[in-house]
Amino acid sequence: MARVNSEFIDEIRQSDSFDASACMHCGQCTAICPMGLDLLPRRLFFYVGAGLEDKVIENRETIFSCLLCKLCEENCPRGVNIADDVRFLRNYINRKVHKLARN
Amino acid sequence: MKERRIGVFICHCGGNISDYVEVEKVRKEIENEPGVVLARTQMFSCSDAAQEEMISDIQNENLDGIVVASCSPKLHLHTFRAMSVRAGLNPYQYVQSNIREQCSWAHRDSKPFASDKAVRLVRAGIAKARLSAALTTMRVETTPKVLVVGAGVAGLSAALALSDIGLPVFVVEKAEEVGGWTRKWGDMFPHGNGSNLIGELHEKVKQREDITLFTQAELVEKNGSMGSFTVKVQVEDGSTVSLEVGAIIVATGFDTYQPEDGEFGHGHECVVTLPEVKELLAKDDGSLTVDGRRVENIAYIYCVGSRQPEDSAAESPNLYCSRYCCSAAVHTAIQVQDRNPGVHQFHLYRDMRTYGKNEILYEEASRKGSMFIRFEAEDPPEFVIDEGLPLVKVNGQLDEGEELEIPVDLVVLVTGMVPRQNSKLADVLKLPIGMDGFFNEIHPKLRPVETVIDGVFISGTCQGPKTLAESVASSLSAVSKSAGLVKKGYVDLEPYIAAIDSDRCLWCGECQAACPYGAIEKDTVNGKEVARIISSLCKGGGACVPVCPESAIEVKGYSDAEVGAIIDALVEEAVLAK
Repeated sequence: MARVNSEFIDEIRQSDSFDASACMHCGQCTAICPMGLDLLPRRLFFYVGAGLEDKVIENRETIFSCLLCKLCEENCPRGVNIADDVRFLRNYINRKVHKLARN
Repeated sequence: MKERRIGVFICHCGGNISDYVEVEKVRKEIENEPGVVLARTQMFSCSDAAQEEMISDIQNENLDGIVVASCSPKLHLHTFRAMSVRAGLNPYQYVQSNIREQCSWAHRDSKPFASDKAVRLVRAGIAKARLSAALTTMRVETTPKVLVVGAGVAGLSAALALSDIGLPVFVVEKAEEVGGWTRKWGDMFPHGNGSNLIGELHEKVKQREDITLFTQAELVEKNGSMGSFTVKVQVEDGSTVSLEVGAIIVATGFDTYQPEDGEFGHGHECVVTLPEVKELLAKDDGSLTVDGRRVENIAYIYCVGSRQPEDSAAESPNLYCSRYCCSAAVHTAIQVQDRNPGVHQFHLYRDMRTYGKNEILYEEASRKGSMFIRFEAEDPPEFVIDEGLPLVKVNGQLDEGEELEIPVDLVVLVTGMVPRQNSKLADVLKLPIGMDGFFNEIHPKLRPVETVIDGVFISGTCQGPKTLAESVASSLSAVSKSAGLVKKGYVDLEPYIAAIDSDRCLWCGECQAACPYGAIEKDTVNGKEVARIISSLCKGGGACVPVCPESAIEVKGYSDAEVGAIIDALVEEAVLAK
């Protein structure tokens, strides 16, 4: 069971640097990732869109394992800026979990 | 009886027939059949050269009947009838033997069998041709006026288009106001406002002197036939008006699916249907509110009442897709988000069918923040109240069966279209109803607005789910078919209709009860009660023939003698072998 947390959605919406709204969950990113990460952009963006903050934080190791190689971004049929979105989430986790100041 | 002079033409159809049927062998087998004076094979009987050959044969050999053994009459009936007329032969003395669809194509596995069957089919054609009578079509004058039933967007558009052509129109609307569902709905996809649209159409209709609009009125009776109907309309004060029209367009629309109590929480105050939301949004241009509360979290559940599984609990499940709902719901979500950018919207769908240009709406909704979550038909979302909090639970996107719970203050059931309960009208017009409960056209591709009742056309959503644009397109299609019919001034009706032998008939009424077209009435001939065929209504269906205890009815062109001769010819060898 995972419950939608609309406050998390609002917090993400307020930022200008996260935008995965065009993601249609096709899985191209998943198929192409050279790291074979446990959690791939498609799933990650679903967690964010559905306001599942706990799931995002649970998966922070994976989020930080991303190489930011942009192979997924190059091949995204919807032109989602995946690397920027991952960077934003790292920043978010740094603030929320590791209590680091923003930038 | 003087022996007939029959000509037989057997077609190769390139190789479509002759690759499997030995056409020359067939020709030899039948050339000595009684009545046959000429038998030819042809490469393509439908070609101009072959038709010219047939015409000169008919004229030189003085033929009074021909058999063309080729394809299905569905393809070339009219070709060869027209050829017969050019040759001076009565077109009803030409007989088609189908040795392609019903022979060569069906029996590719056995050439000898195909050839043998072709011989029998041609022989049967000859048997029929020997008994064929010269028939004439019946000409009926048409009344250049049209009746439109229903004054929704389809009916109003049809009325205006008919008036543009110069045809007087009567519009009958059951409700007090015109406009149907469209009037109640404000903004509709792809753009434009339903209520304004109806306002404009209604204003124009009022200005046309040749359009007579009856509201709170019902069609209660229809007599006559294609091109010349007499209809009775019960009007507001209960009195009845009689009208003469040449064609009838039915545009009675749809009903929205009403969910069962408890279906996805229906009955709970925060669960509404899409049409209800459309009405709320049309009434007030602010943020969406329900009971004075501003709505912040919405879950849309798609395909409610549409695409129901065959084994669902519903008595007769709606198997069809309602076509408009995905686009309408996505368009509604954009409207809601524009009015309250902070709203959270979750779309729980099975398949997103925002086809054609409506895909742009899906993309817009998605970019504006709508979240789309797919579920499987066999594992639908659930509406629950958890410690006073309304939740929608949905499976399908998280790992290992983990459910997603969405706290909601509004659930929108994206309900589809259902056929309007209109049995009285269906009864009056004898309209055929399809498996899905909507009125049925003759052919979904090629004759999409015509019904088996000649002169009665269907348009808009009474025929099945459509978008507004598609409804108007189909109503304009019905306009052109009706205008084509009534503007010509006359219609020629097929002569293959029933005929009563008044000497034998004892008027028991069995035939009248069997006729689905209401084409038989009681008559008196020389003081004796007998059945009479209303020739303009009879379709030659033949339902009356077998029920007659006195064998007093025959369908012209399909008399007992003809059908008997056809059967004898088909089974000749079997009979001889006995």
